[in-house]
Amino acid sequence: MYQYNQVDQQLVNERVASFRDQTRRFLAGDLPEDEFLALRLMNGLYVQRHAPMLRVAVPYGMMSSQQMRTLAHVARKWDKGYGHFTTRTNIQFNWPKLEDVPDILEELAKVQMHAIQTSGNCIRNTTTDQFAGIIADEIEDPRPYCEIIRQWSSLHPEFAYLPRKFKIAISGGPTDRAASQVHDIGLHIVKNDAGEVGFEVLVGGGLGRTPVIGKQIRPFLQKKDLLSYLEAIIRVYNLKGRRDNKYKARIKILVNALGIDTFRELVEAEWEQIKDSDLQLTDAEIARVQGFFTPFDYEADAANDTSLEAKLAEDETFAHWFRQNTVEHKVPGYRAVIVSLKAHLVAKGDITHQQMDLVADLADKYSFGEIRSTHNQNLVLADVRKQDLYALWQTLSEANLARANINTLTDMTVCPGGDFCALANAKTLGVADQIDAKFEDLDYLYDLGEIKLNMSGCINACSHHHVGHIGILGVDKKGEDWYQITLGGSDGEDASLGKVIGKAVAADEVADTLEKVLSVFVEQRIEDERFIDCVRRIGLTPFKEKVYAPAH
Amino acid sequence: MPLLINRELVDNDSWQLVDAEALESNTLPAGDIIVPLAYYQAHEAALNAREGQVAIQVSGDDEIDGVLENPNQFPLIAIFIPALRDGRCFSIARLLKRAGFKGQIRAVGDVSHDRLDFLTRCGFDALDIPADRFSDEVFNAFSEFSVRYQGAEDDSRPVYRQ
Ligand code: HEM
Ligand code: SF4
Repeated sequence: MYQYNQVDQQLVNERVASFRDQTRRFLAGDLPEDEFLALRLMNGLYVQRHAPMLRVAVPYGMMSSQQMRTLAHVARKWDKGYGHFTTRTNIQFNWPKLEDVPDILEELAKVQMHAIQTSGNCIRNTTTDQFAGIIADEIEDPRPYCEIIRQWSSLHPEFAYLPRKFKIAISGGPTDRAASQVHDIGLHIVKNDAGEVGFEVLVGGGLGRTPVIGKQIRPFLQKKDLLSYLEAIIRVYNLKGRRDNKYKARIKILVNALGIDTFRELVEAEWEQIKDSDLQLTDAEIARVQGFFTPFDYEADAANDTSLEAKLAEDETFAHWFRQNTVEHKVPGYRAVIVSLKAHLVAKGDITHQQMDLVADLADKYSFGEIRSTHNQNLVLADVRKQDLYALWQTLSEANLARANINTLTDMTVCPGGDFCALANAKTLGVADQIDAKFEDLDYLYDLGEIKLNMSGCINACSHHHVGHIGILGVDKKGEDWYQITLGGSDGEDASLGKVIGKAVAADEVADTLEKVLSVFVEQRIEDERFIDCVRRIGLTPFKEKVYAPAH
Repeated sequence: MPLLINRELVDNDSWQLVDAEALESNTLPAGDIIVPLAYYQAHEAALNAREGQVAIQVSGDDEIDGVLENPNQFPLIAIFIPALRDGRCFSIARLLKRAGFKGQIRAVGDVSHDRLDFLTRCGFDALDIPADRFSDEVFNAFSEFSVRYQGAEDDSRPVYRQ
């Protein structure tokens, strides 16, 4: 993975010092509250229900074992012993004290980590595929471009005060595991007719109050033009995006208001002015950054392993885990392992400091010392020899990190909701527990097949509920928590927005309602059809009829 | 109000920002004045006939394509920043620079410590800081970061071309 050079380190160190100074000026009364708010957000610090919340960047989801140990240390020393992985592959700490934050940042900086631009109206962490670099279907590893964008966007002097937050995601190939179509900019690595590799560029996707799927602005962009094109898009947005109403300030609103064709004309005209400037990426720079993401020294004889087959045959529980929680690696003899942060009755995405330390140790032992976080709030050990899977599984199981539920209903993506978040309309954690309790039976879940369930505690959609196969949105009705259910969303290459099935259901009825939804699916399903495909085929009506049938 | 030009405090600035009242009644002060773009456009002939230089003030809501066509007709262009969160000023300054503007670009309005460095990098030469937001600490703003990734108006080379 990328390693800081002296410039990178200096920048992060200086940001720690500048944030320390901002905090000092705020506490001394020299910096107005409102101004500090914008500045602290730009460094990942929210104030939520009980305490400040610090969001630490995990650039494109990559962490070293050493970084993970530092996160564990932060959780122990300054928090209540745990952290929460988010849908943007970052980690949040829910309980730090404001005056401790500069010290936390200093500790993070020692292992090349920071909280720069993890919130605020600026360019956020660029996210990508959790299997980047190891999956057979990708055209090229997207991580070098994520890092190039990270550097370009960090403390960009022109784009620190955009109309609203700005999120970029890159997919390395035709299968989109980065939810790129619901980002402000989505980049797809593609090959053109001449066989050159470049980017398809989408713009104006986003969720929240007004969910929109991104639109293509350019079918093919040369690699060298990556930054100049991004700069052109964001400059147009910075100048023309609405600033009078924060709910209408995202780029998706601008793109829809102008129409994609007019927006494209503006961007292309701006780009014409800067494409041949110093912003053009050099081959040397691309090669330099790519040099940090070269394949590991995989063992050639790893493919000769026979022990895995034997273990799979003799241990059914292990076999389930293998099937659900591991993924084929492009190098024979290796698999990628998904470490489930979706344990039974545990807040989704949460991880304790002991678990962090353990995952770090396991990464060192089995996976070249690297860990990735996913936009579905799990972790990945991407490079595990097949012969090590059994031992790894045993250790993960003991630590409650091996629930064999990946891509099933209980692999839910859930925001912290009303228990933590000051913006929430409803709680989410209790409902997630209710769903866990109701759908504990793994065989039933396996029969249902792939289902993505996403639940947000308010319309901000931090958990992408619009693009869950099943989406649950918490709403407030006269002070009570109610839940609106959508079906048919997807964040993949077939991205679509879910549709609401009807009026919201009461808090204690959510799991029962899902049961009805699933019973319709089971009745109507053709062979091994996926839930999402079934919903697309039969439409919402059968589900509505079942869920809202008068009781008798 | 304390005015920094090229990061130094100056006290002999000749420019006056004409206030709304004076604009309304068309009673302009003598000497070098800064007037809003719309006012300039409406009173161009009269303004050019008076003694003393004339500069314009633009804001994010102004249509500035006309200004970009011939920016050097003005010795100074002020960019008004209505609020901290309004980042249009940064892009406007860069567009002026790109259009070949040689005069002074001055930040007026909500100008404070934590943006001074970015403003400077985007091409502002003069920073008009409200008195209540000024202290000697603001000079630190220019040295908080000794490294940077992007090219901008101070140096067009991004880190990979330095
Ligand atoms: C706990 C404190 C949090 C607060 C105060 C918060 C606040 C917000 C707000 C206000 C928005 C809407 C912005 C807009 O549409 O312009 C938003 C969107 C978002 N948040 Fe959060 N959030 C929090 C936690 C999280 C967590 C835990 C996650 C991940 C699980 C997350 C991921 C996201 C994502 C992915 C979006 C973008 C949805 C879109 O594209 O519009 N946030 N958040
Ligand atoms: S979706 Fe709403 S409740 Fe959930 S974390 Fe985001 S802002 Fe908070």
